Amino acid sequence: MRRLAPALVALLAFGAGAQTAGVLPFSAAEVARIVAHGPWPPPPRKDPSNRVSGNAAAIAFGATLFGDPRLSVDRTIACATCHRADRALADGLPRAQGLAVVDRNTPTIADAHLQRWFGWDGAGDSLWAQSLRPIVDPREMGSNLAHIAATVRGNADLLHSYRDAFGAPPPADDEAVAVDVAKALAAFQETLSTGRTPFDDFRDALARGDHAAAARYPLAAQRGLALFVGRGQCNVCHIGPRFSNGEFHDIGIPFFAGPGRVDAGRFEGIRRLTASRYNLLGPFNDDPTRGTAIGTRHVASEHRNFGEFRVPSLRNVARTAPYMHSGSLATLRDVVRHYSEIDEDRLHADGERILKPLRLSAAESDDLVAFLESLAAGGP
Amino acid sequence: MNVLRFAASLGVCLLLGAGTAAACGEALPGTTRTIEGKGYVVVFKTMPDPIAVGEHFALDFAVCPRAQGEAPRSVRVDANMPEHRHGMNYRPVVTARSAGSYRADGLMFHMPGRWDLVFDVVGGGGTERLTGTMRVE
Repeated sequence: MRRLAPALVALLAFGAGAQTAGVLPFSAAEVARIVAHGPWPPPPRKDPSNRVSGNAAAIAFGATLFGDPRLSVDRTIACATCHRADRALADGLPRAQGLAVVDRNTPTIADAHLQRWFGWDGAGDSLWAQSLRPIVDPREMGSNLAHIAATVRGNADLLHSYRDAFGAPPPADDEAVAVDVAKALAAFQETLSTGRTPFDDFRDALARGDHAAAARYPLAAQRGLALFVGRGQCNVCHIGPRFSNGEFHDIGIPFFAGPGRVDAGRFEGIRRLTASRYNLLGPFNDDPTRGTAIGTRHVASEHRNFGEFRVPSLRNVARTAPYMHSGSLATLRDVVRHYSEIDEDRLHADGERILKPLRLSAAESDDLVAFLESLAAGGP
Repeated sequence: MNVLRFAASLGVCLLLGAGTAAACGEALPGTTRTIEGKGYVVVFKTMPDPIAVGEHFALDFAVCPRAQGEAPRSVRVDANMPEHRHGMNYRPVVTARSAGSYRADGLMFHMPGRWDLVFDVVGGGGTERLTGTMRVE
């Protein structure tokens, strides 16, 4: 019961369901659900599977590597090519463009360190393992372990930074050097967090019973929030401070990747995860207790995983268009329309049963978009 | 989102055999929950307690035969959301710790709402399914 306390405080202050000037009469249950989307930001935490997590020298090394195209096979593409600072760490394209166009949209990496699974299919179980994947993917940076290691050993600036970060020169083993590069990249990405938003101010005001502060949150966003935690049931999957349960669902987005090709999503992701020697059960996990490997140890592969994709965070969502794993929805309004008119025939026969067309009015759609826009720092 | 409420499933609730549930799981510290079946009683607690949506948890539990019944040969644990018609994304592993005492690792309720926690107890007379209903918010 201890964790219900903030919501109870809010209820006592506002009176469940009572109208307060400038604040909608949220019910007790709604207030509890809203308060559960915070506080933000969460306290910092280190990744025990990465021995340089939180290490300042490793963060600096990772920042250099993130923008360095020398890691790619033809020295033209860096991590920052797709995860652009001016695009909320995504790229604005429907599908990522590396050495070739890939099948999926580039997800933002802001707040990625808070995830349990990485990539749209969750084939990575750590930020460092995920960081290695695009570097060696032939369609993205097209590199390989030997090239990564040679790049670090053969460039004085990188060699120096490696020593600073890891306290020793690169070992002779190319794979070990490549994994260390990935761990430095992860250390840097752990610093890429989204800021506080108008929603967070409203949520905190509700929690402490501050009417005046709560009333500063636009009514359209409040109405959208009421839909989000109410009739829309969006918070069933987009739950918690990150607005994501971190898991995988089929929401009726076609998973054809191209003529004759399908994207199996989580089904294939689990296969790749369990086959990877870079997973948290493998030899490169720096945590001897394997305490963070519990998800990998227990993950279950089910038929329903076919066509499931990871539930993304909604923080900064207004800045990360286009949407869905395939980048097939151009705007937030398109996303809202998708859920409003969702085609149940596209859903798995053995999949989620609560997805129903919301049949939103134009005004309700506007409100939901206003709420989603309020999840961007500096918005709405 | 992480307040847990528990109610024994009516479908498996029977009147208690004399003292069985009271004695079962006595070694479990803190607040426990009980599911009573025809041949067995399960007493369990979650670790941590309360649990949170989207966070892994474990179960410490005891399985006790009623009256002069046979001790369980093995126990399986699973959970599902009846209203959503799906289960967990993870497969728990049950480890026997001592006679009638077990731990299940690797559970996670990844969505808020009603979850049915299922214990399949394998004994000499076959398998008995005991189901408890939990809510996570």
